[in-house]
Amino acid sequence: MTDPGQDEANEAPSSATPEPDESLRSMLRGALREEEPPPNVLAGVQKRIRERSKGKFYADGWSTAKHPPLNTYLVTSLLMLAILVISYALLSPLVGSPVPVRNQPVPVQLIPR
Amino acid sequence: MADRRDVAAHPVYLAGGVADSDEQSERKFIERLARRDERAFNELVELYEARVFRLLLRMLGRRDEAEDMAQEVFVQIFKAVGTFRGDSKLSTWIYRVSVNLCKNRMKYLARRHSEGEDELEPVAERAALNEAKGVTFGDVAQPDRMVEGYQIERVVQQCIAELDPDFREVLILRDLEDLSYEELSEITGLADGTVKSRLHRARSMLKANVERKMGEKIR
Repeated sequence: MTDPGQDEANEAPSSATPEPDESLRSMLRGALREEEPPPNVLAGVQKRIRERSKGKFYADGWSTAKHPPLNTYLVTSLLMLAILVISYALLSPLVGSPVPVRNQPVPVQLIPR
Repeated sequence: MADRRDVAAHPVYLAGGVADSDEQSERKFIERLARRDERAFNELVELYEARVFRLLLRMLGRRDEAEDMAQEVFVQIFKAVGTFRGDSKLSTWIYRVSVNLCKNRMKYLARRHSEGEDELEPVAERAALNEAKGVTFGDVAQPDRMVEGYQIERVVQQCIAELDPDFREVLILRDLEDLSYEELSEITGLADGTVKSRLHRARSMLKANVERKMGEKIR
């Protein structure tokens, strides 16, 4: 390989814009075109940051998710609420009237000696 | 530039209000990043991951290395975004981080002799150079032409891989990423004239190397 620093030290910087060689550029683009779509790196980045920060960043499911599962949380909340309402509706008729409690003070009986 | 258009169209940049200019939106976005706003960082990764990966793949020539490096680039950006002073565009800064990390990685790989290079077919079996221009698998109907086009691409890929990382860097940033000379200067830290002369030399070396391997002139 040619060392750019060594060569450029002996070469005056050019102020003229280098003419692009269309044949070369076309060849470059053909050789380095990307056929496959780029990978999604977000999950990997979040994992690395979480590990290296010892859980300080990206520690919860909300921040790491690309699209937080709002529907899951919403459906779960509504389901829990429905269960509570149904339970109340089923159990409330079973509740009878309160049992009266005698809370009058009973006189103390002293045992004679 | 495509970069500016992408950024302006992104919801992060519109969050500040339609009346805000791109620069104001970018400044607000950078402030969110500096505050370690994880959602803002997610948006940043989604916005730049394709471009960063493509650049790294062109520099490194290996998909697995490029993917690993792309993740590392964004981790370093997350760590260092607080030091970004806004002297250049955010995209230029991201390119600079990518290029610097990539060059370090290339030196490391060169030391460990882990750059995988496949043996090329004999020169006599290769096709004419002008057939390499725009030849894709989809365009070629005959299998023999497809093989020829593939071989030429492999020669060009090998010649790029043989270029010094400093030459490869300017060639890819200018001729493939279509960055301006000003951006190249900011990314490489070189004077404008030095960038131009380095680019000229990179093109000359690549052209000479391809012609030598193929045994004919590029038309």
